[in-house]
Amino acid sequence: MNVAAARGVIPYRPAAARGEDTAWLGMAIFLGSWAMMFASLFFAYGVLRLRQPVWPPQGTPQLPELLPLVNTLVLAANSFALQRALVAARGGEKARVVSGLVQATVLGILFVGLQVVLWTSLFRSGLAFEDGSLAAVVYGLTGFHALHVLVGLLGLALLLPAVLRGTLNAARNNRLRLWVMYWHFVGVVWLAMYLLIFVV
Amino acid sequence: MTAQEAAFNRQTIEALQPIHSPPTTFWSKYMWSLDHKVIAKQYLWAGLLFLLIGGTLAMMIRWQWAFPGRPVPLLGPIFLRSSGGVVGPAVYMQLFTMHGLIMIFFAITPILIGAFGNFCIPLLIGARDMAFPWLNALSFWVFAFSQLLVIGSFLGDLGAAGAGWTTYPPLSTAIGTPGTGQTLMVAAIFTTGVASIMGGINYITTVIRLRAPGMTYMRMPLTVWGQFLTAILNVLFVPVLGSAALLLLMDRVFGTQFFIAGAAAVKGGGDPILFQHLFWIFGHPEVYILILPAWGIVADLLAFFSRKPANWYKGTVHAMSAVTILSAVVYGHHMFQTGMNPLLGEGFTTLTLIISVPAEVLFLNWLRTIYKGSIRLTVPMLFALSMVFVFGLGGLTGLYLGANAPDIYLHDTMFVVGHFHFTMAAASFLASLAGIYYWYPKMFGRNMNQTLGKIHFWFSSVGITLVFGGQLLVGYAGQNRRLWNPFAYEVFKPLQPLNRWTSYFAFVLFTGQLIFVWNFIYSMARGRKAEANPWSVGTLEWSIPSPPPVHNFDAIPVVVRGPHELSNPELEKKLGRDWVGQAEVVAGEEPGAVRTAAQGAT
Repeated sequence: MNVAAARGVIPYRPAAARGEDTAWLGMAIFLGSWAMMFASLFFAYGVLRLRQPVWPPQGTPQLPELLPLVNTLVLAANSFALQRALVAARGGEKARVVSGLVQATVLGILFVGLQVVLWTSLFRSGLAFEDGSLAAVVYGLTGFHALHVLVGLLGLALLLPAVLRGTLNAARNNRLRLWVMYWHFVGVVWLAMYLLIFVV
Repeated sequence: MTAQEAAFNRQTIEALQPIHSPPTTFWSKYMWSLDHKVIAKQYLWAGLLFLLIGGTLAMMIRWQWAFPGRPVPLLGPIFLRSSGGVVGPAVYMQLFTMHGLIMIFFAITPILIGAFGNFCIPLLIGARDMAFPWLNALSFWVFAFSQLLVIGSFLGDLGAAGAGWTTYPPLSTAIGTPGTGQTLMVAAIFTTGVASIMGGINYITTVIRLRAPGMTYMRMPLTVWGQFLTAILNVLFVPVLGSAALLLLMDRVFGTQFFIAGAAAVKGGGDPILFQHLFWIFGHPEVYILILPAWGIVADLLAFFSRKPANWYKGTVHAMSAVTILSAVVYGHHMFQTGMNPLLGEGFTTLTLIISVPAEVLFLNWLRTIYKGSIRLTVPMLFALSMVFVFGLGGLTGLYLGANAPDIYLHDTMFVVGHFHFTMAAASFLASLAGIYYWYPKMFGRNMNQTLGKIHFWFSSVGITLVFGGQLLVGYAGQNRRLWNPFAYEVFKPLQPLNRWTSYFAFVLFTGQLIFVWNFIYSMARGRKAEANPWSVGTLEWSIPSPPPVHNFDAIPVVVRGPHELSNPELEKKLGRDWVGQAEVVAGEEPGAVRTAAQGAT
């Protein structure tokens, strides 16, 4: 055991930094927990797929290839913009934070829009919700993921006014850091979804 | 620690958890309160209310097993008017479904984890509140919303959920149970899962970040260890249940086919067994989610009321941690009968039986804690002792079911029902009552009546043993579970007297609980005022007034010893009492250099 700790001596760190560490830990635990949710969804997909003699099941339309790839790049660009916004926020460059957040918001909306295009085109080509495990996986999993993108957009909508008002600044930017973590998580989940559902 | 270091410490720790002025409005004081103690009480009330509902449902099930086809007295004329008070097959399905789900997710979980977790964690580790008080309040109200969905399920067309508490498809899909009651219940499970995850995040972060200086992991009361490990299981495995509920909801609402196979599915349908995998990947950790807090509370209480340090404290901690890890890899024993590969069945059998090794370590530690102790048979101690007894029975019967071969015979019988009621219902329930009787003075600032508590104890412990013992017996004789009228089968007719007696005991058990209801509510208004430390125990919550102020600790304590420093002869000589506070510095002791018996040489 650490001797100093056993004697009750705490190493010095400013209270604000400690509070931020605590918030970061909570967010990390939450994302870990939510990763289990997506892991079990992927597990479900794996089981359903292995139960089928052929994949995709016979009589189902071909999944599009280009659109999901474009969407992967959109979310990657979104993560990149947010990361730059975070760096700018730490440096106190307000204009660049705002531009980063706006870019991320536009990209997020673009992602959801393209997902809607993807779903409607699949639906038009004859893949109804009731059409077996492929439809269940494609609509269910990507739909659930898109809900998370919407939550992330809500977060950006909350952050932008804070940046403009100056309550989110060089000294206090932990909220942005946590939302960036969340967006990275959503991006990684999408990458896994893209690879497992549309590529493999 | 030098004086300078101490001052420095104080500054750091106080800056992290500043004292806020207490709330004044009704709304901020009782409804959207950020105070963990108020949230704990909210959880306690919500849980006890649903415990009563779940218990009432159980009484109606027991009536059906004693007198199938006869109108239910008292409750029948109110709730079953359309059938003349008789429990019909569909209503019967709803009764046992709602009983199971309510008891597990909406009664025991909020009491054992919501109430005790919230109340104990900050107080026992010396913190002023949870790490995220706002999230904590949100978690309760999300939970309350899920309870609302449960109530809504009762009002659904075609009645409440009726697919069994395990909610297996295809019965639980829109084909098997088309009513809105089932849909609302699946939504309630998802929602309560979200609340559990929020709570879990809060508990883990609080334990990691907000322990008082000197409160090392190996000085935490075992209650906190139980809650901590439970929270870890919650954040890891409740999402898996969430995913199962989510996919089932999609099947029911949007018509997807995750779990629908066979004739109903044309283009490569889903897989009903998939649900069982998802359900039990969560479901087996869940039984430990419900028992770990109980283990923690009981391990502490046995030490406190035997006036001895808990035997091999570290062993208990490591055993509880080992169980936590192993609980993740045994879920297949719930699915032996699903056509699982026999080799896989062997593997799950082995892993399941291995889990009894750390459980045995725990159990022996409890027995050695009370061995040669100076036992005080207070009400909490009585409940703790009976929890040890019923958990022993539950654990032993678990061996039959965990091994593949006997499980083939016992599968789907009342033996399974008896087993999981002994562990999840009886043990968790008795530990919850032990905890309520123990922390009641701290929670409400008044004492419960101990005589009524003892009468309640005899009703509860004897009643529970007889009721679930009866289930074990009829199950071993082969009676299947979930039968609407078991005695329609010639082979089960001789079991009717035994079933009837079990039901009589159940009615007595339920009636006995009314004593508790009276005691709980009456004591809140009229009970004797509680002193700060009525049980003479050294953990931190007893060093502050009952009930504690909103900020808990005027100054955040500096902990110098473990939680069970009882009957230490050296200290008894110095202090003239057999207990010493965890943060109490005794003259002549170098703080921090204190070695407790439980810790050994660190």
